[in-house]
Amino acid sequence: MKDKPEKLIVKGKRLDGRKMDELRPIKIEVGVLKRADGSCYMELGENKVMAAVYGPREVHPRHLQEATKAIIRYRYNMASFSVEERKRPGPDRRSVEISKVSRDAIEPVIIKECFPKAAVDIFVEVLQADAGTRTAGINAASVALADAGIPMKGLVSSCAVGKIDGQIVLDPMKEEDNYGEADMPIAMVMPDKITLLQMDGCFTQDEFKQAFELAKKGCEQIYEMQRQALIEKYGVEGK
Amino acid sequence: MQKTKGDLVLPGDFIGTSEEFLPGSGTYEADGNIYAANVGTVQINLKERSASILPRTDVPPIPKVGDIVIGRVSDIKGSVALVDIARIKGQEDREIATPEQGAIHISNVKNAYVRDLAHEFGYQDIVRAKVIDAKTLRLSTDGRDLGVIKAFCSKCTTALKRKGDKLECPKCRHMETRKIAEDYGSGTV
Repeated sequence: MKDKPEKLIVKGKRLDGRKMDELRPIKIEVGVLKRADGSCYMELGENKVMAAVYGPREVHPRHLQEATKAIIRYRYNMASFSVEERKRPGPDRRSVEISKVSRDAIEPVIIKECFPKAAVDIFVEVLQADAGTRTAGINAASVALADAGIPMKGLVSSCAVGKIDGQIVLDPMKEEDNYGEADMPIAMVMPDKITLLQMDGCFTQDEFKQAFELAKKGCEQIYEMQRQALIEKYGVEGK
Repeated sequence: MQKTKGDLVLPGDFIGTSEEFLPGSGTYEADGNIYAANVGTVQINLKERSASILPRTDVPPIPKVGDIVIGRVSDIKGSVALVDIARIKGQEDREIATPEQGAIHISNVKNAYVRDLAHEFGYQDIVRAKVIDAKTLRLSTDGRDLGVIKAFCSKCTTALKRKGDKLECPKCRHMETRKIAEDYGSGTV
């Protein structure tokens, strides 16, 4: 890993030349996997994630099924080659937790009552990581669900805010995440519902409010890009 | 913004108010408004004043009346054969969204008298059937193209070969009867 840079903000610009309230470049592709019922590939700066949705389908093992609604299963997984030092493959404490919070972030928008006794499986694979993989995963999963035609109350958009050198910044990248003072990912359903809010590090109350507003703005921008990606794929008659 | 017929909508987009429309398929109602739940185009039925979404994406397959389904006979009771429905014809590459058993009643097997259901279906046979009641998933095999499309010998479980209007086991020469579809054994679903 690279050593800590002396300053994370130089001449009012961040290490990668971004402004404080600027997102990293985003690319969203819809329906990239043929065998999945819905899929989405997303790049958020150096992050590369692939989301696949299967189902609604039969629940195995049977005792997990619910008689009145579908169950949602979400798997967040990092590829062993996604980080600088090889990651030991398989679920670990961190990815189990991220799977859980991401599922909780996505679940409220899915109209589960349409598919009793069924399961919707969401798989998020992180191919390359650079801070903010959970938010990228949630964004991709939400688009993949729409691609699968699963009835939803809205799209979930997610983005993180951080604090570096005492300043609130949008969408921190790896160096800013590693050496910054705080990191706070949020997920929201436009226009005003929050489905995920985590925080690592310290904010004062005022900083928190400022950070929260900034994250909302980031989510709005991402929401627009998710919409554009879906319109691009499905805007014209016939696929 | 009010949507009109033919507009492309995404999940969560406002379509109209509950006073104006009834929520149709692909929509949901919240706080007195109707919103889109799928990616598709708005359809407005002025006769029943309902708004629905015609999806542009593939949608999870749910059996409707008149759909042709493919399934496997999982149980034969006195007057019904139970079928595990696997796929709906036309959406073969996607698993059925509501995994439930369909039932073929002895009266819906064919347009003739059926004395014993065991003469028409065998355990684990693969059948093509039509949905006649979507709620209770009642199925019918009355029709030339409907019925068993693959059957197995009740003695040695080998796949049966067609011989006239009966089936013969190529291994043990056992003859069996089934309500067979006209393209039995062709391998097409």
